[in-house]
Amino acid sequence: MQWASLAAALSTLLFAAAAVAAEVTGGEAEHGSGGLPQLDASRYPSQIFWLVVSFALLYWLLSRRALPRVTDILEARQDRIAADLDRAAKLREEAAETQRRYEAMVAEAQERARTMLRSAQERMAADYARRQAQLDAELRERIARAERELAEATDRALAGLEDAAAEVVQAAVAKLAGVAVDREEARAVVARIAAEHRP
Amino acid sequence: MASPLEQFRIEPIVPITVGEFDLSFTNSSLWMMASVAAVYGFVMAGTMRPAMVPGRLQSLVELAFEFVSDLVRENAGKEAMRYFPAVFSLFMFILAGNTLGMVPGAFTFTSHIIVTFFMAICVWLGVTFLGFWLHGAKFLGFFVPHGAPKIMLPLLVPIEIMSYCVRPISLSVRLFVNMMAGHTMLKVFAGFIIALGIFGVGPLAVTVALTGFEFVVAFLQAYIFTVLTCLYLHDAIHMH
Repeated sequence: MQWASLAAALSTLLFAAAAVAAEVTGGEAEHGSGGLPQLDASRYPSQIFWLVVSFALLYWLLSRRALPRVTDILEARQDRIAADLDRAAKLREEAAETQRRYEAMVAEAQERARTMLRSAQERMAADYARRQAQLDAELRERIARAERELAEATDRALAGLEDAAAEVVQAAVAKLAGVAVDREEARAVVARIAAEHRP
Repeated sequence: MASPLEQFRIEPIVPITVGEFDLSFTNSSLWMMASVAAVYGFVMAGTMRPAMVPGRLQSLVELAFEFVSDLVRENAGKEAMRYFPAVFSLFMFILAGNTLGMVPGAFTFTSHIIVTFFMAICVWLGVTFLGFWLHGAKFLGFFVPHGAPKIMLPLLVPIEIMSYCVRPISLSVRLFVNMMAGHTMLKVFAGFIIALGIFGVGPLAVTVALTGFEFVVAFLQAYIFTVLTCLYLHDAIHMH
């Protein structure tokens, strides 16, 4: 607004100057078409006056009405772009968050799978070991039983052999010496001899 | 045939006399008003239906707006954006005056020294006033060149002051002479077209080329006037 008041003050000043100039060159202006129209000082006040009027009008129209509209449009676009950028950043943030959550989930699932696998392996190994041990024990028992049975059979066989030997001794003594030997006596003798010969 | 200077004649349309001043509404006034209407209509039409993605006219308006605002920001600094409406009005007014003057039969009000000089003196006085208003008496320091030897100052300060005072003259004469010379040249060559008969093709080609050239000058001179205004604003605000 200081411009406008300044311009107004100046225009009155120049009007005065123009009036003086018109006074001086007044005679020449009367001649009309002769000379440069730009130097016709009698036309200066009108030009200055209408310049001030039209420029003041333009300044008022533009600064009060037209330019705010342009500013509004540009600001609205700026705001829109800023808002869009904001939203894009937020969405990216969310996407990154989802990605992180997903990765965490995958990692957790993998971890759980590994744990399950490991525990299953351990369980199977334990089971295997237990059954192995069971089998071993069973086998050992069967072997022991078989050995025991074998020993018993051997003992029984040996005992049978001693009996047979005693009968042979009894029969041989009876045949050769005509002496009837008691069965228990014969067995004792055989047992004694067998014990002597046993390693 | 009319003289090439005929086009600069000022013809009263509505005679008005106030006191001893002749304030007639003339062809010059008419084209000043036409420029105002053109600039205002241009901006208003371009912003009639604001779109997020601008159409052609809206793009042009935004282009003009941002062109001038960049001009102010780059040449006069951020602080000068307060004066953006004035600079924008100035640029668009001169540009409209220059380009509307290219319409055949139109009057180019910027081809009159009194108009350009009055605009220049307003800019110059406004800027000087602003300088003193912002910096007080310290603004006089603007006329003392930095880093100059003290002994040279009695010589340098008057030169600085003189070059500062010549500014409105150079500013106004540049615009006025460019517009007037261009239009006169156009008229002179156009006059030869008829005079030379069939050989008028030569001046015709020159006239066509000059017309294109004149449009460039019309824009360029408005641009130069505005840039210099911004630079003077910069001097007033920053003092160096």
